[in-house]
Amino acid sequence: MYPYEAMFLVDPVVHGNDPDGTESKIRGLLEKHGAQLHDFERWDERKLAYEIKGHKRGIYLLSRFLIPGGNLPEFEADCRINETILRQMLIRLDDDIPTFIEKSAAYYEKMKEDAEARRGRREDGFDGGGRDRDRDRDGPRSDEG
Amino acid sequence: MPPKDRNNKKSKFKRFRERRCRFTRLGVEFIDWKDVNTLQRLCTGQGKILGRKRSGSDAHFQRLARQAIKRARFMGLMPYVGS
Repeated sequence: MYPYEAMFLVDPVVHGNDPDGTESKIRGLLEKHGAQLHDFERWDERKLAYEIKGHKRGIYLLSRFLIPGGNLPEFEADCRINETILRQMLIRLDDDIPTFIEKSAAYYEKMKEDAEARRGRREDGFDGGGRDRDRDRDGPRSDEG
Repeated sequence: MPPKDRNNKKSKFKRFRERRCRFTRLGVEFIDWKDVNTLQRLCTGQGKILGRKRSGSDAHFQRLARQAIKRARFMGLMPYVGS
């Protein structure tokens, strides 16, 4: 049994008609292949960056679970057969699930701080810092000479 | 003759020089492929992945970023091309 994180991209029309039914079907699919669910949530609804199977919007479901590695090929095959699931992404986690969730929270905390710091610097007139060949090439080269 | 504000610019440049790589500076362990805001910062407006020189990432985090961006693209979170 190994810890996995899975994201499913689901047809928004089917999910919109019956959110609980769709989610429990996917949950059932996981359990059918011997997964021990840790959590299962609706992550977000978004406009897709490009059309996937004719859909412009999609609902993302996120789940973390333990599953025997040998069951994965069959599980993924089942996902492909399922017409509600437009795409799925299975990632094997390096840590166990509680540790991963902790690390994940710490990661987003740090990123948030950084974003706030950056906003502060912009107001100071921060120009991006560092060297940038593509940007600097055509600009004035005042710091050389 | 060099511009008058030359020294000024240099000291400003130096002030922000400490760490080039954001991820090392922040001390994160990985880059989450679901974190679209961060990943978008590592791409051009067209969706191309920025090179290390442009993004300033260390080799390790550039590899993680590449992997994360590719995963986000597959799931339709980010564009492969255009925008």
